[in-house]
Amino acid sequence: MLISGKILPLDRSNIDTDQIIPARYLTGITKTGYGVHLLEDVPGTPINNPKYKDAAVLLTKENFGCGSSREHAVWAIMDKGFKAVIASSFARIFEENCYNNGLVPVKLKSEEVEKLFKQSNCEIDVINQVVKLESGEIFKFELDPLKKEFILKGGFLKYMESKVSLVKTWEKTAS
Amino acid sequence: MAKSVFEKVWDSHIVEELPGNNYLVFMDQIVAHEITTPQGAIEIDEKFGGNLYASERIIAINDHVSPAKDTATAIQAKVLRDWAKKHNVKIFDIGNNGICHVVAPERGYVQPGMTLCCGDSHTGTNGAFGAFALGIGTTAQAGAMLAQCLILNKPKTFKIQIDGKLPLYVYAKDVILAIIGKMTFRGATGYVLEYSGSTIESMSMEERMTMCNMSIEAGATSGMVSPDKTTVDYLWGKEVITKDKNEFEKLKNKWTSFATDKDSKYDKEITLDGNSLKPKVTWGTNPGEVIDIDGEIPSDADEKSLEYMGLKKGQKLYGLPMDQAFIGSCTNSRISDLREAAKILKGKKVSIPTIITPGSQAVKRQAEREGLHDIFQDAGVLWTHSSCGPCLGMSMGVVAPESRCISSTNRNFPGRMGTGSRPHLTSPAVVAASAIAGVITHPKDI
Ligand code: SF4
Repeated sequence: MLISGKILPLDRSNIDTDQIIPARYLTGITKTGYGVHLLEDVPGTPINNPKYKDAAVLLTKENFGCGSSREHAVWAIMDKGFKAVIASSFARIFEENCYNNGLVPVKLKSEEVEKLFKQSNCEIDVINQVVKLESGEIFKFELDPLKKEFILKGGFLKYMESKVSLVKTWEKTAS
Repeated sequence: MAKSVFEKVWDSHIVEELPGNNYLVFMDQIVAHEITTPQGAIEIDEKFGGNLYASERIIAINDHVSPAKDTATAIQAKVLRDWAKKHNVKIFDIGNNGICHVVAPERGYVQPGMTLCCGDSHTGTNGAFGAFALGIGTTAQAGAMLAQCLILNKPKTFKIQIDGKLPLYVYAKDVILAIIGKMTFRGATGYVLEYSGSTIESMSMEERMTMCNMSIEAGATSGMVSPDKTTVDYLWGKEVITKDKNEFEKLKNKWTSFATDKDSKYDKEITLDGNSLKPKVTWGTNPGEVIDIDGEIPSDADEKSLEYMGLKKGQKLYGLPMDQAFIGSCTNSRISDLREAAKILKGKKVSIPTIITPGSQAVKRQAEREGLHDIFQDAGVLWTHSSCGPCLGMSMGVVAPESRCISSTNRNFPGRMGTGSRPHLTSPAVVAASAIAGVITHPKDI
């Protein structure tokens, strides 16, 4: 799985899910249609800058996706066409939501993130877990070995369903 | 080996060890609400034959915008309502509902030693009971409905020791804001917090819930308090708890077996002196950007936060004019919060638009039995039914751009209470005092 394309830079830490998709738009019962309001409450948001049109990679700093558990944040990012988010750290629930939906959460060192802020494009090799810069420089990143499969092949809910009989047996012995 | 309450609960709920640092963890209770549940519930119905693992382990609550404010939110509530009916899931709806993190504990659904999850980040509130309770996304919640489990990384443990007697007008809210201020907004990512020490031991369950509620605001997976006599006494008489004394005695023994052992080890520890705390108010755009009510905005304050909030370094918050006041949310809308606000509002008049929204219909009825609604309304406050309301800027008092709202809620993110809104988070007592003065004010000065 290769992701390559333009970078949308969000030069801030602590972008919470209220800023990614404000609560006033959480009135749907589907997973689609949230992209039009993506990042609209971020002060000075770059989202509508034509320079970043059709960007595939969202680049930000620390603690991205903190706050509300709303999976709508991930749905909105994907709905807008992003395939990956690069950050120096993610909030727990947001990162889990990324895996469960197939949005690639790429965690890099702060120095590496800083270097990427000077780039306009990059390539992400998900299988080999590396980010390639246009200069040829390479940054490695970690992915959860189990949840990586959900990114590559989907099927999180099928996986959970496959555990049902095991859970039933466990419940009998546990009580 | 000595174990903490978290370790005891965790160890007793592991179904399977999975690759990585992952575990399949059994969930005793699932709580569902209308904003984050429908998508997952629909997916299970459409692709998995509607096979819920155990509908009796789920409760559903229409809470975020209840009653609905428009057609879209009416549809959300209807989807949850119809789904609950179809699957025989117990639902709390208009007339009998409230914020999920207020309703679940007040009915007795949360007990020591339990695991609980909900598609809502403030689920850690329930950790006050010595339960391991955490917020998750819609898809993880759907997985839990299918297999009654979550896939979780094992969190690390973090003990927060707070000793001493809180001064007058200092509350659980100030303690947790002090902790978040100290640890920063992301300082506890990957950890489960355990609040302990004499300050916590002397807190009521409601105060402990306020503490645990905001653990997520330091990035923590959850917050917990070891179960004790206060926990057990609170649970006696609750709706879904046995009324049989012998049965209750057995439960009590089971519950207290989850209490933290002496000499338990933690990955990290900090201590805090409860005696010296002051009321806290946030100045910035996350709850970690907080100072004492008589303090000054620090010289290293984040420029972007200051710009959004229209404030300057070195500025005092005390005396800052407010446009609106709000008491409510899963952090501070329980009966004890309303009583504190009433003490300050009694015989006074508010000078800015002020809304008080009880955390549940049960809280509302209790407040009215005590006559608090008269105190509030005599003071010129709008006393509403229960809902999340303006906490998330969806309904019932959305704050205008660049308007300041002194608020008992938990989040001051840009846009949180409405586009461009400027919330200042604090305790219900400071909200009440500031509502009277029209500027940020210490309750002692009223
Ligand atoms: S009161 Fe606010 S923080 Fe609590 S559940 Fe409702 S929206 Fe979330």
